[in-house]
Amino acid sequence: MRVSRWGRLSGVLLAGMLAVTVGSGPAPGAEKLKVGFVYVGPVADAGWTFAHDQGRRYLESHANVTTTKVESVPEGADSERVFTDLARKGYRLIIGTSFGYMDPMVKVAGEFPNVAFVHISGFKRAKNLATAFGRIEQPRYLSGLVAGSMTKSNIIGYVAAHPIPEVVRGINAFTLGVRATNPKATVHVVWSNTWYDPGQEKEAAESLLSIGADVLAQHQDSPAAIQAAAAKGKYAVGYNSDMSKFGPKAFLTAPVWDWGPMYAYFAKKVKAGTFAGEDVWWGMDKGVVDIAPIGAMVPASVKAMVMARRTAMIAGRFNEFSGPIKDQTGKVRIAAGNALGDSAQLSMNWFVEGVIGTVPTK
Amino acid sequence: MIALERREAPHPWAPLAIPLISIASAFAAGAVVLWLAGVNPMAAYADLLGEPFGSGFGIAETLVKATPLILTGLAVLLPARMKLWNIGAEGQLQLGAIGAAWVALFTPIGHSPVAMLGVIVAGMAAGALWALGAGALRAWLNVNETITTLLMNYIALLFVDYLIYGPWKDPASRGFPLSATFPLDARLPIIIPGTRVHLGLVLALVAVVIVTVALSRTRWGLEVRVIGDNPRAARYAGMNLARHTLLVMGIAGGLAGLAGVGEASAIAGRLQRGLSPGYGYTAIIVAWLAKLNPAAVVIVAVLLGGLYLGGDSLQISLGLPIAVVNMLQGLIFFFVLGGEVLAGYQVVIGRRRVEPVSTGSRAAR
Amino acid sequence: MSPVTVAVLAAAVRAGTPVLFATLGEIFAERAGVLNLGIEGMMLASALAGFAVTAQTSNPWIGAAAAAAAGGCLSVIHAFLSVTLRANQVASGLALTIFGTGMSAFLGRGYVGVPGSGFQATPVPLIAQVPVLGPILFQQDPLVYLSYAAVPVAWYVLYRTRWGLEIRAVGEHPEAADAMGVDVARVRYGCVIAGGVLAGLGGTFLSTAYTSMWIENMTAGRGWIALALVIFATWDPVRAVVGAYLFGGVNALQLHLQATGTSLPTYLLLMAPYVFTIVVLVIATQETARKRLGTPAALSVPYTRTG
Repeated sequence: MRVSRWGRLSGVLLAGMLAVTVGSGPAPGAEKLKVGFVYVGPVADAGWTFAHDQGRRYLESHANVTTTKVESVPEGADSERVFTDLARKGYRLIIGTSFGYMDPMVKVAGEFPNVAFVHISGFKRAKNLATAFGRIEQPRYLSGLVAGSMTKSNIIGYVAAHPIPEVVRGINAFTLGVRATNPKATVHVVWSNTWYDPGQEKEAAESLLSIGADVLAQHQDSPAAIQAAAAKGKYAVGYNSDMSKFGPKAFLTAPVWDWGPMYAYFAKKVKAGTFAGEDVWWGMDKGVVDIAPIGAMVPASVKAMVMARRTAMIAGRFNEFSGPIKDQTGKVRIAAGNALGDSAQLSMNWFVEGVIGTVPTK
Repeated sequence: MIALERREAPHPWAPLAIPLISIASAFAAGAVVLWLAGVNPMAAYADLLGEPFGSGFGIAETLVKATPLILTGLAVLLPARMKLWNIGAEGQLQLGAIGAAWVALFTPIGHSPVAMLGVIVAGMAAGALWALGAGALRAWLNVNETITTLLMNYIALLFVDYLIYGPWKDPASRGFPLSATFPLDARLPIIIPGTRVHLGLVLALVAVVIVTVALSRTRWGLEVRVIGDNPRAARYAGMNLARHTLLVMGIAGGLAGLAGVGEASAIAGRLQRGLSPGYGYTAIIVAWLAKLNPAAVVIVAVLLGGLYLGGDSLQISLGLPIAVVNMLQGLIFFFVLGGEVLAGYQVVIGRRRVEPVSTGSRAAR
Repeated sequence: MSPVTVAVLAAAVRAGTPVLFATLGEIFAERAGVLNLGIEGMMLASALAGFAVTAQTSNPWIGAAAAAAAGGCLSVIHAFLSVTLRANQVASGLALTIFGTGMSAFLGRGYVGVPGSGFQATPVPLIAQVPVLGPILFQQDPLVYLSYAAVPVAWYVLYRTRWGLEIRAVGEHPEAADAMGVDVARVRYGCVIAGGVLAGLGGTFLSTAYTSMWIENMTAGRGWIALALVIFATWDPVRAVVGAYLFGGVNALQLHLQATGTSLPTYLLLMAPYVFTIVVLVIATQETARKRLGTPAALSVPYTRTG
C-alpha cells in the first residue's frame, strides 16, 4: 500500500535522526576559554551589533579564546534560555549586549556562580555579573562640534530612537557640541521609536529635512538617515560605525564603538580568576569610543579644533557635561564649576537648551 | 489531462499518516534549502531535534515554551471551529499581560493572598475584552475579523510601549522601559523546582480538557460546530450567530490573555517589551497542525515549542539564524495543508468521471 | 500651501506607494474570487530579490523585474493550493506569509547592512516645477510613476476589456462563467499571479527606492494593511489610491508634527494608522452591505465543476 510505504519511510527517517542525536556525544573538553556573545540584532546591521561583533573578532585574534555568537535574541524571557544554554555548554564568559537582557542575566548569573557575565548598558550587578558601557557622549559632543560648524541653515535634525536616558544623553552631548561652535543653531528631535527600521527612519529624516535641516544626526543602527541626507545633498552624522559608504559626500563623522579592548580586559580577568561584578564605564581614553574619520568636506581648521578638543578629553582636561548647562526652559541645571555626575547622567530625562522637541513620557 | 477528484471515503490511514508525511516532506524541502545555503542538513536537524528532547533542561524549556503555545493555539482553534479566524492571539496575549500587571502593581489585591487569582482573572478579562472588540465588529457589523484582530495586535504592542515608557515605568529602572516587578504573591509559582515550568502549564492543560469536553459533549459545543460546518442550517435552526460569535471570541481572548499572564507573571516577572516572540502567530500553525483538535494541540505545541530550543542550538553550534526555524514552520504548514487536501482527493489522469452534484461549502457569511 | 504640508503630502505619496501596489494586486485576485493572505510574505521575498539582483547587476530595473518574478512565483504556490487543490484559502495564504517571512530572513542574511544602489528620485522635467502638485507628485522615484500608470491600466482592464469581464464573472458567479466557456482555473491563476507580481513591485519599492537596503521584516505589516485597503476601496482600483495615500499620510504626519516641535503623545499617534484602518474597514463594510456592491460573491470559495 502506498501509504504504509511512506509511513515506514518517515519512521526510518525519524529513527535515523534520533540515532544521530543520541550517537553524538558532548564536545571534547577545550582548554581555551569559551566566550559567548548574545546579540539583540543581526551582525550585519552595520550598527550596534556589528560593532560588538568586531569586538568579538578582536578578542579572538588577540587572546587565546574561542568565541560563539547568538544573533537576534529577543530581549526578555527568551534570552534567559540562551544564557542558560551557553552556561551549560561550558562558556565561562558570557556577554549580553542589550539592556533588555538585564533581569534574565541576573537570574542566570545566580544559577551559575562559576560563570562570568558582562551586561552591556545595564545597571544590576552581582558577584559574577559586571556591567559595562562606554562614554559615547564624548564623541557625540565632538560630532556636535563638526555638525555645528557645517550647518548653514542653523537647523540640525536628530533622528532619535527610543526615549531612554542613553539616547537623551546622546542628544544633549551632541547639542552641547553644536552650540559650542554655533550658539544660534537648534537641534530638532524626531522620535522614530525604532532601533532598526530603515523605512521609518528615512521618513523621520525626510520630515527633518523638510523643515530645513541641512545636517542630520541619528541614534539608530540603520544608515537610512544618511541615505536620505545624501539624496538631498545634505550632511549627516552617523552612529556605531563608519557609515561613509552609504553616503560618501554626506557623511561627516560618527561616534563609533570599539569594544575589542574591553572584551580583552574581561577575558584576561576571567583567566586570572580576578573577575568581579564591577561597573566599567570607559571613555575615549581607553579606546572604547571614538569618532570616525572626519569627512574631507570639513575644513581643516574645524578638524584641527575638533581633534584638539578630543586630545583634551582623553587627557581628562575637558568634560562635555561641565557647567554652566541650562535646560530647555532656560533654568540652570548645572552651575559653572560643576559637572553632571554619573548617576545623574544615567537617569537623564531632560533636554539642554537648544533642543527643540520633548522626551515623550506618554 | 490531470485532475483531482474527490475520494468517496477518506483513506483509513489518513489522519495519522498525512501529518507525518507532510512534516517529513517539509523537513526534506528544508534540507534542500539548507544544503543550497551551504549548511549540512543532517547536522542541523540533529541539533534541531536533539536539543529539546535530549536533556532535562531541554525538556523543561520545551514545556515552558509549549505553555503559551497551547493557550494561544486554543485561542485560534476555538473560533476556527466556527470559521472565524482569530489572528489576534498575539495582541490578546499582550492585553493579558497588561491586565496582570495592573492588578499586581496598582491594586491592593496585588499584595493580598488572592493576588494570583486576581492576576489570572484580570489578565483573562483583559484579553477577552480585546478580542471582543473585533468579535463585536464581526457579530454586529459583519466586519472581517481576520483583519481587525490582526490590526489590533499592532495597537496592543503600542499600548504596552505606551505604558512602560510612560505611566507604568518603574522609577527604579533608570529610565528604561520596564514596569516594576510583580510582588511575589502575584507571581505564578514554579511547579517543577529547578526549572521555569510554571502553573500556567497546568492551567493550559485544564483549558484543553475543558475545551475538548465543551466542544464534543455539550450542546453549546454542538452549536459551535454546526455554525462552523453549515451556517445556513444553523440559522434555520434558530441559533443566534451573533451571540455565539461574541462568546467564542471572548473565550479565545481569555485563553490568549492567560498565556500573557503566564509570560508576564511567571517568566518575566514584570511588564516589558518582548514578552512574546510571536506566539500568537505560531499558534495559527499549532491549531492547523492539530487539525483543530484541542487534544492534539498539546502534542503540536510541545513539538513546535521544542523547535525554538533547537533553533537556539542551531545558532550556538552552527551559526544559523533563527529564521531557519520560521522557514521550516512555514514549510510544515504548506505541506500539511497540501497533504490534508490530497488525503481527500486522488489524482486522476486521462479520464473523466461523473460525479454527484456538490456545491462546495460556502465560506462567505 | 506651506512647505511642511507639501512635504507631508509628498511623504504620503511616497509611503503609500508600496501599499498601493499590493492593494491593486490583491484587488485582481479577490475580484476573481481568490483571497490571498500571503501578501506580506510575497512582498518580503520580492524586496529581497529586488535588492539582491539590483546589487548584483547595478540596475534597479532588472532588480524590479526579478522582484516581480519572485512575487509571481510565490503566488503560484497559493494559486496551486487554492485553485487546483481547493484547499482553504485563508490557511494557504497564512502559510505563504509565514514561509515568505522566514525564507527571506534566512536567505537575506548576507545582504543586511550592504549598501545598495537602487532608484533615485527623478523629477519629471517641467511638470515637477508646477507649484504644489509638482513636488508632491512629480519629484518621486520611477516606481512611483509606474504606480501612477498602474492604476488607470488596472481600471481599464477590469472594466473595459473582455478579460476584466471574465475576471468579474468568475468572481461573482463561477458556474455561469464556466457555462459560458470561461476557463475558471486559468482566470484565477492569472489574477493571483498578477497579484503576486504587483505585490513584488511593492516589495522592491521598499528595498530599492524607499530605502536602499535590506533588513528582515522590512514590510512591517504593509501586506496586511493592503488587505484592509482592498475592502476600503470596495475592490475598485481608483479608490485604492485614496486609501493607500491616506494610510501613508497618517504616519508621515505624526513625524512631521514632531519635527516642527509640536509635542503630542507619541505612542497614541503611532497607533493612528492602525486605528484609522480599522475605522475605514468598518465604514467600508457598512457601505458595501448597504449598497450591496463590492464583495465578489464567490470570494474565497473554491470552485468545483459539477455535472
